[in-house]
Amino acid sequence: MNENVDQRLIDGSGILARLRNVSFDYGGKPVIKNVNLELKKGSSYSLIGQSGTGKSTLLNLAAGFLRPKEGSIEILSKPLKGTRKETAIMFQELALFPWQTVYQAALMPLKMSNGKDKNGMEERVIKLLEELGLTELKDKYPHQLSGGERQRTALARGLIGEPDLLLMDEPTSSLDTVTKESIQELIRKQQQKLQATLLFVTHDIEEALLLGEKILLLNGEGSVLTIDNPCYLRKQQRKDLAFYEQCIYLKELLM
Amino acid sequence: MTEKIKRHYRGRRKNKAGELLWGLLSFLLLWEILYLTVKNHTIPSPYLTFLYFPNVGNRLIWHLLASLARVGTAVGVSLLIGVPAGIALSASKGLRKLFSPFVYFIYPIPKVAFLPVFMLLFGLGNLSKILLVIWIIVFQIILAIRDGADQIPKIFYKVMAGYQATPLKNLRYLIIPAILPYIFSSLRISLGISLASLFFAENYATKYGIGYFILSAWTKMNYREMFCGILALGLLGIFLFVLLDIMEEVLVPWSKEETH
Repeated sequence: MNENVDQRLIDGSGILARLRNVSFDYGGKPVIKNVNLELKKGSSYSLIGQSGTGKSTLLNLAAGFLRPKEGSIEILSKPLKGTRKETAIMFQELALFPWQTVYQAALMPLKMSNGKDKNGMEERVIKLLEELGLTELKDKYPHQLSGGERQRTALARGLIGEPDLLLMDEPTSSLDTVTKESIQELIRKQQQKLQATLLFVTHDIEEALLLGEKILLLNGEGSVLTIDNPCYLRKQQRKDLAFYEQCIYLKELLM
Repeated sequence: MTEKIKRHYRGRRKNKAGELLWGLLSFLLLWEILYLTVKNHTIPSPYLTFLYFPNVGNRLIWHLLASLARVGTAVGVSLLIGVPAGIALSASKGLRKLFSPFVYFIYPIPKVAFLPVFMLLFGLGNLSKILLVIWIIVFQIILAIRDGADQIPKIFYKVMAGYQATPLKNLRYLIIPAILPYIFSSLRISLGISLASLFFAENYATKYGIGYFILSAWTKMNYREMFCGILALGLLGIFLFVLLDIMEEVLVPWSKEETH
C-alpha cells in the first residue's frame, strides 16, 4: 500500500471521480452530452464506443486537459481545475521522449515532483523496472525497443508516481495479440497492486472485458451507459463460453 | 553505459577516423595532381608545404588562436542570442508574426556586404569583426532552433502538462533535449560560414588571424607560407567539425544509434 491508497481510505465515500452533467463540444459540435459518472476507488472501467463518440474527449476531461463546457468534475470530492500529479495518463501514441532511456523515462515523473531523495527515487525506479521486466533494457532508447517494450516503458512512466487514477487511451492498439495479452496482464496486476482507479479506453471488446470491472458504453448521443462485467469478477478467459457470449452482447449494444 | 554501447561507440570512432584519413589522402592526391599539372611556383607540392611548416609553426599557432578566439566568441554569442530567440519565436504566435517576416527577409541577403557598415559603426578592431560574424550566422541559428522547436509533437507538451511541469522544467526536460540535434546542425553550418567570413574580416586592421597570415604571405609572394596558412585553416575547420561530432555523440546519443 502506498501513501495515495491510505489517502483514499480516509475519504469514506468510496468515489474517486465524479462527473456531473458534463457536456463538451468542439466549436459548437457537441461530443459529450450531459454525462453523469462515478468512478470508484480501486475499480477498473473499460470505456468503449464507436469511433467519434467522444471516448478520448472524456478521458481528456478526466485528466484535466480539457474543461467541461457544462457540468463539473470532482476528484476526491474536490473540483478538478486542471491536471493533477496523482493522475497518470497513457496515450495511444505512448509519447515516449526519444532522448530518454527506459530508466530516465521512468525517473522523470519523480524528478517532476521535486523529489529530493535521489537514492530513494532510484531504488523505486529499479524495483518497478524489474517488475515490468525492463531491467535489461534500462539503458535503451525508445527507437531501440520493440512495440511491447515501449508499451511497458510508458507503463513504467505512468506507474512510478503511484497514481490513484490511471487513464489509458487505447495503449495496446498497435500491438500483436501475444504482446497485447502480456501487457493487459501487466496493467491488471499493477492496477490491483496500486489499488488505482483505471479508466481504459479501447475499441477491442475482448480487451474491455478483460480489464474492466464495469464497461462504460459511450453511445452516439454522447452519454454513458454503465454495464457490469461478470467476466472480470469470475476471471473468465477468452476461451470461456460466457466470455464469448458477453462479447456478442456488447457488440450488439455497440451496433 | 553498457559494454555493448561502448563497443558500438568505439566501432563508430574507428570508422570516423578511417573516413577522415581517406578524406585527407584524397585531398592531398588532388593537390599533388594540381601541382603536377600546373607546374608553377604558385602551387607548391604538398610534400614541400609540409616541410615548410616548421618555419612558420610558432607564428601560425598565434594566428590560428586569434581566429579561433574570434570564431568561438562569435559562435558562443550567436548561440546565446539564437537559442532563446528561436524558442521564443516557436512558442509565441505574436512574436512569430512580428519577427518572422524580418528574419525571412534578412536571411537571403549576403550579410558579408555589411562589412563597411560594421567598420564604420564599431571601429576597425576585434569588435567589428566578431559582430560581423554574429550578424552572418545568428539568423541561421534562430531559424534552425525555431524549426526544431516547431517539430516537438504537441502530445509531448501534454505529457509535461500531466506532471504540472513549470516552464523551466518544460525547457529542461523537453525543449532543450528536443532542439539539441538542431543546435548541432546549425553549428556545423555556422562554423564553416564563420571561418569563411572571418577570413574576409581579417583582411583589414589586424596583425593576427589566419586570414591576415594567408594574405600577408600572398602579398609577399611566399606561396609555401600561403599554402601552410590555407592548410592550417582547413585543419582548424576539420578539428572543429570533429570536436562537434564528438560533442554530439556525447550529448545527443539517441540520434544516431541502431534501431530495433
